[in-house]
Amino acid sequence: MRRLTKIAATSAVLALAFAGCSKQDDSSEGTDASASESTSETADSGASVCESADGDGPKVGLAYDVGGRGDQSFNDSAYAGLEKAVDEFDATCFEGEAADGEPESAREERLRGMADQGYNPIVGVGFAYSEAVNAVAPDYPDINFGVIDGFDPDDEANDNVAYLGFAENEGSYLVGAAAALKTQTDHIGFVGGVNSDLIKKFEAGYVAGAKAVNKDIKVDITYIEESDLAGFADPAGGKAAASAMYDKGADIVYHASGGSGAGVFEAATEAGDGMWAIGVDSDQYLTAPAEQQPHILTSMLKRVDVATYDMIKSIVDGKPVVSYVTYDLASDGVGYATSGGFVDDISGDLDGYADEIKGGLEVPVAP
Amino acid sequence: MATAPQGSTADGGNSVSVQGITKRFPGVVANHDVDITIRGGTVHALIGENGAGKSTLMKILYGVQKPDEGTITVAGQQVSFSSPTDAIKVGIGMVFQHFMLADNLTVLENVVLGAEKLHGIGDKARAEIVRISDAYGFDLDPDDLVERLGVGQRQRVEILKVLFRGAKIIILDEPTAVLVPQEVDALFANLRELRASGHTILFISHKLDEVLAIADDITVMRRGTTVGEADPKTATKLELAELMVGSELPSPETEESTVTDVVLLELSDVSLLDDRGRHLLRDIDLTIHKGEVLGIAGVEGNGQAELVETIMAMRKGTGTVRLAGNDIAKANTRERRELGIGFVPEDRHRHGLLLDAPLWENRVLGHQTREPNITGPLINRRDARKDTQRIIDAYDVRTPSMDTHARALSGGNQQKLIVGREMSGDPVLLIAAHPTRGVDVGAQAAIWDHIKRARREGLAVLLISADLDELIGLSDRIEVILRGRLVGEFDPRTVTPQDLGSAMTGGQDAETKDETTSTSNGEGAAS
Amino acid sequence: MMPKLVSGVLAPVMALLAAIVITSGVVVFVGASPVDFWEVMLSWPSNRNVLTVLNQASMIFLSGTAAAIGFRMNLFNIGVEGQYRVASYVAAVFAGGAFLPGALNIVASIVLAMLAGAAWAAIPAVLKVTRGVSEVISTIMLNAIAVFLTGYLLSNYGEKAADTRRTTPLEDSTMLGGFKLFEDKDGAVWTLSLLAVVVGFLFWFIINRTRFGFDLRATGMNESAAVASGVSVKRMVVTAMMLSGAVAGLIWLPNLFAETASGNYFSSSVFQSGLGFTGIAVALLGRNNPVGIALGSLLFAFLGVQSTQLEFAGVDVSNDVVLVTQGVIVLTIVIAYEVVGRWRAAADQRAVRAALDANANKQEVAA
Repeated sequence: MRRLTKIAATSAVLALAFAGCSKQDDSSEGTDASASESTSETADSGASVCESADGDGPKVGLAYDVGGRGDQSFNDSAYAGLEKAVDEFDATCFEGEAADGEPESAREERLRGMADQGYNPIVGVGFAYSEAVNAVAPDYPDINFGVIDGFDPDDEANDNVAYLGFAENEGSYLVGAAAALKTQTDHIGFVGGVNSDLIKKFEAGYVAGAKAVNKDIKVDITYIEESDLAGFADPAGGKAAASAMYDKGADIVYHASGGSGAGVFEAATEAGDGMWAIGVDSDQYLTAPAEQQPHILTSMLKRVDVATYDMIKSIVDGKPVVSYVTYDLASDGVGYATSGGFVDDISGDLDGYADEIKGGLEVPVAP
Repeated sequence: MATAPQGSTADGGNSVSVQGITKRFPGVVANHDVDITIRGGTVHALIGENGAGKSTLMKILYGVQKPDEGTITVAGQQVSFSSPTDAIKVGIGMVFQHFMLADNLTVLENVVLGAEKLHGIGDKARAEIVRISDAYGFDLDPDDLVERLGVGQRQRVEILKVLFRGAKIIILDEPTAVLVPQEVDALFANLRELRASGHTILFISHKLDEVLAIADDITVMRRGTTVGEADPKTATKLELAELMVGSELPSPETEESTVTDVVLLELSDVSLLDDRGRHLLRDIDLTIHKGEVLGIAGVEGNGQAELVETIMAMRKGTGTVRLAGNDIAKANTRERRELGIGFVPEDRHRHGLLLDAPLWENRVLGHQTREPNITGPLINRRDARKDTQRIIDAYDVRTPSMDTHARALSGGNQQKLIVGREMSGDPVLLIAAHPTRGVDVGAQAAIWDHIKRARREGLAVLLISADLDELIGLSDRIEVILRGRLVGEFDPRTVTPQDLGSAMTGGQDAETKDETTSTSNGEGAAS
Repeated sequence: MMPKLVSGVLAPVMALLAAIVITSGVVVFVGASPVDFWEVMLSWPSNRNVLTVLNQASMIFLSGTAAAIGFRMNLFNIGVEGQYRVASYVAAVFAGGAFLPGALNIVASIVLAMLAGAAWAAIPAVLKVTRGVSEVISTIMLNAIAVFLTGYLLSNYGEKAADTRRTTPLEDSTMLGGFKLFEDKDGAVWTLSLLAVVVGFLFWFIINRTRFGFDLRATGMNESAAVASGVSVKRMVVTAMMLSGAVAGLIWLPNLFAETASGNYFSSSVFQSGLGFTGIAVALLGRNNPVGIALGSLLFAFLGVQSTQLEFAGVDVSNDVVLVTQGVIVLTIVIAYEVVGRWRAAADQRAVRAALDANANKQEVAA
């Protein structure tokens, strides 16, 4: 009996360990596949530009969040910015990647390692680097740090850190307007990955944009997870949520759910002609399989690449970006994608809404 | 030894003979000089109490264990098994008491599992199953899921599995233990069919009625060896019971009685129900005095274990239990132990020892709230170890050290340690369930002596045993338990084995109010 | 006794060797050089990382001890993960609230964390003794519920920090400086890492020296014998589970109260999740014995910290390969202990037989 339980316990632990691994494996497999698919614009697929770059420009350190390069979204977008900078400024670069469930100390160590080797600037991709940058930056006053979506966790300002935020609500407002203009049923949907403040920002903008077009429009809202970050990596959950919306009469569903979005696209494809999904962060039309492309109306663009590129450029220019910077519609930090041409007919209307925002229209950040 | 292999008898094809089988485990001899001759095409019953050595013999016959001495002869050929596969090759199959079937598979799948090479897994196998099932009246559908089958049907699947593999000699280990009476009848009908077609069946049981009903020959085992044979046509249950528990009664104890007038343990109206509301114990009234050994006799499974566990508060019964005049109904096991009840459990591995702990920690077990093992909330290692050494010396526990794990010791030495432990701390009452089961003769004598000495010093003892030698040799009084009731009281100095045997098997009409019609009166048939 | 010493050392050594071989195989399989790999993994860490190893090891040790308390009586508390999450949240809220001054606040938070962990662990214990629910199932479910619960509380009652939520950060007066073994910039051994030493000693003492510990071990070794010896198993289940939960409650506190650690509050990014599962593995590794758990914790912490160096050394292996190493160590050690245990049992029996023979025992049963 004891032996049995011992074995059971061991296998349970191993299962957990390997579950951890395989999660990683999945994402890294995804890495290769997507990298080769998505990089119609990048020169070569799997290898990083950092392996070949040997110029005498700035040395750029990029610390990815979990998933790393190849996640078809956030991290890839940052990489695109880096690639452009390497191209333009003859930069060299180094990439680090977070492991699942790693402690703060590991993130700090990653940044310190880069700083010790003289990389400047160093960009942490994702708000999870906020604390680590805050801890490391004071020790390296001559190096500039940037954190995408970051924030300063304490009262002491760091004068060598830039917090690069985005007005996702403004971008979402535009795709919300697009959805309202395109819907045949006056019924649309929103699938959020995790019910957090960040994702609620997407929801708020989307709903506001839709209501601006048609104040009686019906918007279904579902979050895959209440707080578990797994909601960003749950295609099955995304599919279930979106399918339910299509069944209830919605014909356009916008997702802000990271990797779960693949399920939303699948649901739209299965729901048939006239059913649409809207992508997020990057132009997801470009990375979707061919049979899903006719169902991807547009994508809300969050130009992490622009932010990353700007950060590097500011170092080259000798005027480093510090403190809070918000990439909004006015600065082309957010926007919508036009690939596929499905929104060409309403581009005039959308530009009108965009102008309103640029002109000072307040888009809500919370529902 | 070395009796020449017996020439084949009437149906020699399936005869089995074992001669002079001896099997030793460290410190214990499980089988010695076992001789059995099983005629081909018969049902041969092997009977004996638990611990008599039946299961060891069975394992030897089925190739699970190798004998240290002796020979096995099958159909005139001397054989030697190193695994059950070898046994199956010569046509010996075994049906275990606990079924080994996969519930979520069909009968067909269960039968062919592991024997795919014989008839494949398809129509040929199906045809074979149907053929066997029809031939012996098993009435099994190969496509039924086993989880839908009743116990009797599952047992037939087990038998079918064995036949499917070509067994001609089938060992059934207590096949009726799990069956209700109608199922027993059906099983016996199947067995008769099998016998008629030339199969040999070795039927292991301790239920005498059934053995008499089905067997052609009976062999009795006691204390590791075969002690006699009986012809079911003429034998009575009483004779069998005598053979099983030992008929040669020892001369009555010449020791003076030390029984006092002081009642130490008093049970009145104690009953115990199982989950389904059936009585495991019913209205037990008994008293034990200081200095008295009360023996409980009975065929195994009639409530002895439940009685002990109720007194130890390991099970919650109803009724009153008084110890030295105080009602202890509310006391839990630990409190009862602290009041001075020592407990030598029936199954020392399950209830008496931490096999993977050193001896000195085993000495603490059950006494972990008492001196010398503790000081306040802490374990007093030094004194506990010192006292363990005392027990090792006084009770002759043979061990290299008190740091040896209990598992490494032989059964007898384990038991001596337990007895020594339970006798320490001046108990007022000792509950000893089968205190010498599975221990060697030397340890047995030592344990008996310890019990006798403690009794002289005023200890009250409740002794449960299946061994009449032990019961009569140690007890001042014997109560017989049958189906959860105490059905008769005897004086060991005057009791005859017939009296005891008939009380134990329900043959005596006194005090047994039920089932008197179906049970024949044993005394008439005896002698 | 000689065999005892041998079995204590032999099994871990066998397991480590096997783990090294298998991990090397994986490294070769993914196309990297195992020599480089082990060179990095086995190099002596920087001063800063020595401290990180100690700090991580202390948290892992607390987790391993929490698991071991249950394992010692065959209770599979897989819920350490959820217990310390809930407890960490409660402690962070209370400590951040600064209801009490300085040191008192810390002490009260520690007590509260233990109570919260114990309470969360009491749920599966009570379910087990009253309803017969397997603690394995219920604790796994409670882990998920803990994630949900803390996430819900955080997003509804947490303080806003950019787009994330956190508990109120601790005031400076309730933070502990730690022990600076090297220069200031290398950080410190967190003060509350000492909890590991205290808990380790108490665990050893209670298990081996007290009546309660004896009852607990007896129940684990042979439940029915424990019952016959007067142990109330139900009470032991509840007590042991709650003790396990109370210790689990301490796991993250060293980090929370450390001045030199980043993130003196609870949020989804600074809270280090996963330690509960690491603890289970380490408890198995250390055979539920404090010294073994301590060594196992140091080993796991060391491997984890060293893996962050892989990317800087140019070894092209994901640092997640450490999970493979850790998993293999656990698996092989269980097997190795089993093998060595059998050798030992056989040796024991031979010793007993020798002792019997020496006594010239002639009491073989006469036929």
